[in-house]
Amino acid sequence: MFMELEFSKGRIIFEKELSFLDKLVFEFTAILDKQKINYVVVSGYIAILFGRSRNTEDIDLFIEEMPLKKFLEFWNELYAQGFECLNTSNPEEAFNDYLKEKLAVRFALKGSFEPNFEVKFPKTDLNWYSLKNKLVVEINKEKLNISKIELQIPFKLYLGSDKDIEDAIHLWEIFKDRLNIELFNGFIERLKVGKKINLLEGKT
Amino acid sequence: MKKFPKIDLKELKEEMKLNKKQRLEFVRMYAEWLKKTPNKVWSSQQNKLLNKQ
Repeated sequence: MFMELEFSKGRIIFEKELSFLDKLVFEFTAILDKQKINYVVVSGYIAILFGRSRNTEDIDLFIEEMPLKKFLEFWNELYAQGFECLNTSNPEEAFNDYLKEKLAVRFALKGSFEPNFEVKFPKTDLNWYSLKNKLVVEINKEKLNISKIELQIPFKLYLGSDKDIEDAIHLWEIFKDRLNIELFNGFIERLKVGKKINLLEGKT
Repeated sequence: MKKFPKIDLKELKEEMKLNKKQRLEFVRMYAEWLKKTPNKVWSSQQNKLLNKQ
């Protein structure tokens, strides 16, 4: 038995009733697409997207590095579409003091604090890998770029909080029969989380 | 009358360990249910939780 997901040409395609959170994510990523900014959604929202029964206060994304001019266009579009930056109202400060320093800037709907989008430029090789090897998901014909599941599960094991372990188990249960095991094992080995792999199958 | 109940830290630790184990079992059980449930049904139930925000 398998969740109603279609795997086609490296994409996952499915239909579901969208939540407020899903709709907000699509609003935000539509702005990134409009501005032709390469992005990838990582971490907790991926588990939620595939049914995990929990909420989140933030959605983590990596966006490609870009010059200030392009960032200002992105910023202006975000504000035009009803978002605002929670860290600073000055876009040049957001760019120079946060993004260029590899720190996150957070955007939320004007007047609200949660949920918010935690946006970063890639810093580590792993961040770059996520961005360059993203997985496209089509939900109700809308497209979303997410990090590969083969990386997400080991990374959640690496992070190691109760919430992260639960997310890893959820993704494992949903995708264990569809994973590229060589890639998955490669990340398990590189993140040195081999000892935690038993948690996925309940062998504690 | 005692001001505080007796607290057995070892017992508490065991309880936390058991709670965690049960929680992880529930995550597995929920994912199993999800896999055999139409998307429309599970997403509608998930939205009752998510849309509370």
